[in-house]
Order: sequence, then C-alpha cells, then structure tokens
Amino acid sequence: MPQAQNAPPIPGLLPGKKAVVVIFETDCPTCQLALPYLNALKQDSVQVIGLSQDDERSTREFVGQLKISYPVELDSGLKISRAYDPHNVPTFYLLDESGQVQQTLVGFDKKGLNELAAELGQPSIAPADDGAPAWKPGCSSRHLHPSQPKSGSLGTPDLEPEADGGAAENGAKLLRRSGDPASRITLRDEEDAFEYCRKQFGDALPVIPPTVEKVEAMVKASGLAKETVVARVPPFYGEATVEKIAANAVMAGCVPEMMRVLLPLVRAACDERFNIHGVQATTHFAAPLVMINGPVRQELGFWSKQNVFSNVARANSSLGRAFQLILLNIGGGRPDGIDMSALGNPGKFSFCIAENEEENPWEPFHVTRGLKREQSAVSLFAAEPPRGVSEHTAPAGKTVLETISFALATVWSYRTCLMPEAIVILCPEHVKTIHRDGITKEQARQFLFENTGIPVRHYSKEERAEGTQLAANYKEITVRGEKCYQKFRSPEAISIFVAGGTAGKFSAVIGSWSTGPAGSQMVTYPIPDK
Amino acid sequence: MPVTIVHPGNESRPKAATPPARLASLAGKKIGLLDISKPGGSFFLDRLEEILRTKHGVAEVLRTKKPTFSKNAPPQIIEQLRGMDAVVEGLAD
Repeated sequence: MPQAQNAPPIPGLLPGKKAVVVIFETDCPTCQLALPYLNALKQDSVQVIGLSQDDERSTREFVGQLKISYPVELDSGLKISRAYDPHNVPTFYLLDESGQVQQTLVGFDKKGLNELAAELGQPSIAPADDGAPAWKPGCSSRHLHPSQPKSGSLGTPDLEPEADGGAAENGAKLLRRSGDPASRITLRDEEDAFEYCRKQFGDALPVIPPTVEKVEAMVKASGLAKETVVARVPPFYGEATVEKIAANAVMAGCVPEMMRVLLPLVRAACDERFNIHGVQATTHFAAPLVMINGPVRQELGFWSKQNVFSNVARANSSLGRAFQLILLNIGGGRPDGIDMSALGNPGKFSFCIAENEEENPWEPFHVTRGLKREQSAVSLFAAEPPRGVSEHTAPAGKTVLETISFALATVWSYRTCLMPEAIVILCPEHVKTIHRDGITKEQARQFLFENTGIPVRHYSKEERAEGTQLAANYKEITVRGEKCYQKFRSPEAISIFVAGGTAGKFSAVIGSWSTGPAGSQMVTYPIPDK
Repeated sequence: MPVTIVHPGNESRPKAATPPARLASLAGKKIGLLDISKPGGSFFLDRLEEILRTKHGVAEVLRTKKPTFSKNAPPQIIEQLRGMDAVVEGLAD
C-alpha cells in the first residue's frame, strides 16, 4: 500500500487525530452495504470520513438514503483515489495521527471491520446475524475504469463523473435503510375484504384483511419504525419494510408478538448464503424449512411434538404462512408465475417445526449450530418434503440408524452423491433407543455418514442416469460388505433434529436442494429475547 | 363502512427495458454464448457455435459460463458480454 505521500489533502481531515477514510462509489452495492456500518464508530477519538468517487447529486442521495452520519466529501477528479490507488471500492484506510496509512481493508468484511473497531479501542460494529454476508467483494475503483486516464496522469483537468456513474439516475433506490410507507387500499362498500385479499395477496386460501389498525399493532410490537427496511426479498428484491412484513403477518394470522421471530427469519432468508433467490426460482421441490429452538418455543407456543409438520399449532402454522406470504407478495415468487417448481411442495403453505428439546437426550440443534442453549434461534434449510422412515421392530440403536441410512440414500436422486445434504428428524422413541445404546449425537451422525452408500453395481455409464456422470468424483467405501459410493461428502452434510410425539417409531429424512456456495447453505439466526 | 387495508406487496415498478432491434443477418456479427452451468448445456452450445460459424458467417463467438445456475450471473460475466451484437443464454437438462 503506497503511503500516498504526494496525495492531495483529504478534505476535512484534522491533523493529530486518528482517522478512518473510506473511498467508495455510490452505485456499488458493496459500498451501499458497507458504509452505514461506520456510523457505529464513536467519533470522539477518531475521525470518520467518506470519500465519494461520484458527483454531488449522487453522493447526496447516497448519504440521505443510507443515513450516513459522518462527513462525506467528494474526490473531485479522482485525485485522491489516484494517489491512494485502491483496486476496489470500498477501501477503508486507517490513518495514524500524522496521516500515514496504518491499515487497509478492502471490500465488505465484517471480521475486518470489527478488528478495525478493536484497533481503535471500540466495540464491534458489524454483528454476525444482521442479514448481511460475512464478506462481499467490492467493485473496481472508478480511477481504474477504462474510460479514466491511467494513474500518474495527475495533471489532467478534473473529469466529470461517467454518465452512468450516478446512483441517483432516475431516482434509483440504493440499499437504503428506510423504505416508502405502504400505500392504503380502501375497498368499495360492496367489496368483500376477505375475497379481495385472497385474490390479490393470498396463498390460494383466504387471508385476514391487513387493516390499518391490525398492522399498526403488529408494527408496534416490533419496536421498530414501520419504514425500516429489514431485507430485500428475491427474486424481485422487494423492500421488506417492517410495515409490509407486519401486513403479511396479519394476513397469516400471527399474533403481534410473532414479529420478534419474523424479523430475524426474513433477515436469515435474505442472507446471501441461503440463496432464497435460487430456492424461489428453482424447478426443484425446495421450500424453506423453518426450524425453531430455545425458550421462544414455550414463550410463543411453538409445537414440537405429535403432528409437528401438520396443522397443530397457531405459532408454527402462522409463522410459516406469514413467511411464505412475504416470499410471495414482497419477493414476487408467485407459484403461478416466476416460481416454476415442477411439483411444488406442501410446505409452501407453511413449513415450520420446533425441536422437541425435552425429548432430546443430546444437545439441541441450535447448540450444534454454535449458539447457546438459552438462546432462542431460527434456522432455515432449503428442503424437499419429508419422507417417512418406519422402524418398529429393531431392538438396537444401530439398526435404527441403518434403516434411516437406506432412506438417506434416496435424497435428491438415488445415484447422486456428494452434492445433497439431509436433515434427519428423529422421533423421541428412536432417539431414546439410540441414546440408550450409548451412542452420542456425533457418533450417530458419523454412523449415518459411513453407512449411507449406493452400491456401485447400480451405476451404468451407458444408461446415463442422473448421478452417474459424476461418479468418477465419488469415494468408494464398503457398506455391509458391498462396494458402494459414499452418499454424502462429509458428516456435516447430515443434521439431526429431534421432533415428534412420544408414541410411534416413525422418523423422517428431508433432502436438500443444491448445496454449498453454489446452492443454498443452511443459516441459523438468534431470536432476540423477550 | 369501507375497509382500508395496508398494501402487503412489493409496490416498486421496475423500469421497462426496450428490447434491441432484431439482427437482420448474423453475418459478421459478434455473438456471445452464455452457458448457465446446467448439465448438458455445453452440448447444445457447442452445436450452436458450429452452426453459427459454418452456416451464418459470424465474425466472433464468445463463450462464457456462469459459476452456478442457481445464482445470478456475476457482474464480470455480464461485463465480458458487453459489446456483443447478440447473446444466447443457454439452458439445458
């Protein structure tokens, strides 16, 4: 990093004080995401300055929409950018009291931002679970764009920003923190409100009309301003303001207290790792499965026992339905339009279960996912519908697991290995048997990993069946004395979740959609305490 | 008493894009072929490239590929295709 000794002075920079200077473009989505985080830096011991590579109008729009609370200046003619020469924006510079660069941070990086804050003796400024990714690359710096003179040509006259460089063109919406208020629709006297709302905003079933009073009560329970943008919901990236979320929650039959779960759920769904864009648009069966853990189960009445996947509890059914209505109404993933799933999934009405932690002899699911037991949590998995596994006769825990492994072999497609993941929903009777035999949760998962294999004799190159084309990448293992391809890439591809009633030895296996960074990754978000 | 409800949907209206004029001829044109990474996509696009080159006299065929079919094309892929006279985005399966 050059020390930019011949750099023109940074406007507003006072000597004798440390400074964080960030160079940005107004139309770079990563800059729009990253810059508001610096608002949290206390400015008594450090100066924070934004340097915009764009014109005054775009910059003013950027500062206003994103509510930037520190000084932002223009890098006229990109002179400072050329001197500091960042390859990408945003680039953050930590300058010491004499203006020398101590540290540089490129792009959006939560860990880096928190380290920067720590370096300044300040608390973390980038929470892990606010819906934004841990890391996001930036855009190339404007001074390196082909239409700009190369660095070194400092003597050139000031340049007007590129014609398309202004984010405010045509009033573009940035990743703003406050959205527009939702419009009001007044129905004609003779119009049936239930019928109108079913047609316009329903999930094919009648919904409760989101009247102004009901929505206001829901917004009030959230404790946030109604215009607050919680997320942008793919595939149309509609702004999910607190008010719009509340309107869908009313329609689904939620109690106002459910906003406490719904807001982190919407954030989690729009976490880039989960890739709800792909989940909404795929022709596969996938629907987001909502999994609830922790004290919130009792506090709001989430059900984890018999009929857990069914129509048993208002909390499960209304939260799952509100979430689906949000995807449909705000995200635009209409099942008669852009959602082209070949067969769909009954979970698209509502797909929300809670863990039966009381019947789980092991650590609960959210603890395995890295949270504390007393922390309420919501997890999301891009899920196929559940397939049942009956095992009533086997006396041994290992045999129960073996029976489950046969069902695991079928997820996605029987011959497809490595890509799929799965959740095993263990019923209380099965988990009791497995635990009684001294098997830990980790050992159960390892057993399922090592014993789920597809016999190699079931593959024929000539038939070109799905999964065969990738067989060269599969790992050969021996299962029950037979040469097999190992179904899963790692034990972590299998998750265990205990749920269901105490009578009936029926567990279930739930397959995934496309997984990993190229598909959908499971996410777990904390739910704030009561 | 008329009922007033809060609009629960996305109210933003995307700007309408005007499709470019159809090419009168492919001769001498630059054509981009975007493989979306679905299995089998390359078979289709290989054949299409062959037809474009041998039967239509295109000046250039630029082949590029999305890292995954499950996500939008990253900006650098779109950037590669800038300047093409036409782009074919190939689906497969």
